[in-house]
Amino acid sequence: MGRRVVITAESAITPVGHGKKDILNSLLNGISGIKSINRPDDVLAKHIHSGVYGIVDYEIPYDFSRKFRKTMGPVSYYACQTAKEVIEQAGLANDFLSSGRLGVAFGSIQGSPSVQRNIFKAFFDPDDKGFSNINAADYLKSMMHTTAVNISRMFGITGRVLSSCTACTTAAQSIGFGYEAIKYGMQDAMICGAADEYDLTTVAVFDNLLACSTSYNDTPYLTPRPFDLNRDGLVVGEGAGAVLLEEYGSAKKRGANILAEVTGFSCTNNGGDLILPNSDGVKRTIKAGLENAQINPEDVDLISAHATATKAGDVIEAQAIFSEYGDNPYVTGLKSYVGHTMSACGVIELIFSLYMMQEKVIIPTLNLEEIDERCNMIKHSTKLIEKSVNTVSIQNFAFGGVNTCLFIKNRS
Amino acid sequence: MDRQILLEKILDVFKEEFEIIDPDPDNNLTEKYEFDSIDAIVLLEYIEKLLGSELTQEEKKQSMECRTINNIIDYIENIQKNRN
Repeated sequence: MGRRVVITAESAITPVGHGKKDILNSLLNGISGIKSINRPDDVLAKHIHSGVYGIVDYEIPYDFSRKFRKTMGPVSYYACQTAKEVIEQAGLANDFLSSGRLGVAFGSIQGSPSVQRNIFKAFFDPDDKGFSNINAADYLKSMMHTTAVNISRMFGITGRVLSSCTACTTAAQSIGFGYEAIKYGMQDAMICGAADEYDLTTVAVFDNLLACSTSYNDTPYLTPRPFDLNRDGLVVGEGAGAVLLEEYGSAKKRGANILAEVTGFSCTNNGGDLILPNSDGVKRTIKAGLENAQINPEDVDLISAHATATKAGDVIEAQAIFSEYGDNPYVTGLKSYVGHTMSACGVIELIFSLYMMQEKVIIPTLNLEEIDERCNMIKHSTKLIEKSVNTVSIQNFAFGGVNTCLFIKNRS
Repeated sequence: MDRQILLEKILDVFKEEFEIIDPDPDNNLTEKYEFDSIDAIVLLEYIEKLLGSELTQEEKKQSMECRTINNIIDYIENIQKNRN
């Protein structure tokens, strides 16, 4: 038995908006954030078959001084903005930030690929200018833990630094490991999340694996289509999300606005193939998560499925959900709105789940028009449902065979 | 290059690149303006452009003694003198 952990602030930058008002408007009205790729690069764009992307195409009012900007790539701009909004929303005192009792758990799938690309260009520079073309701060901008340490530096945070780098389970691990750090008394609060910037490298990787959506290049809003018969793969997206986790007693004492409680977390590995989805791995993760949360399957109202809209992944996930939950909880695939925001998907989907709890609605899976019969044994949400949502499980799976389940309970 | 012209060029770099406007030439840049090791490396790149050639490792090491704008001007003048 450990300490209770609550969520007291959230912030997200997504292809369907920045902040609750804009995001909720898109989710409630079925507005997709998927667009045609409109920022082609000079390396990959002409080779990849997928022409769609979850794009953040609006201005973000950054207000970072040069002192901080000089070590930040685009990925850290996203991360620091969401962290800043979370700190402001929670009203954390300055002396707490540097007390050593607040930590940061934040990651990305590969640091800042746009900065890394500039470094690699130096290797192939025909003028042979060598490493003088590599800026002094390029490593700080592009390293794997760049988001976590730029947040720590900007706000003078002196507690633990965790920087998971497990592809699509990065954010879920950030939140899960942050939850455990508070639960077992190592920290009193953690800023948790992940960010990924616009980059076509990831599209190329999935494109080569024939896992990217390619049939809807002229109608991007019709893809991805989780669990739908006509789904044809995932759509990569960009974005970020951050949540503040706090120990329940201290949050209550300082009068914090408690949004939800994190009640459980599980993380497993398939112990085999690094790419193929694995039904036993997903089932084991669900079981371990329910056990950690000390709840029964029937206590879960809603599952935010990983649901990337790949041919095999959705079937494996639907069957695993049915095996552990039956057809009781509603299941929604939120990537249908924003695409697969890679490292950030777990925190963005958790924040969308918070909104559903607050608004007492279940957001349907977008583009789910004809359910694939192999996925049809679970209770899909195909239309907006007005319903109290008390307990949500957020499922994420990653290359490398990593699986996570987070459980949150409504405490508002 | 005349010392006054050098000073103006360095002050331009501080304004444009480091957002440090009209620093006192004798103030400690780290203590007064939060000029740090990353800035120092960037400044060396500008000095190389100013001189029109790369700095040697030895010359770069000597720059680490600079604390003020006047130190930086002295450093550049010294390199120019030694190279002539």
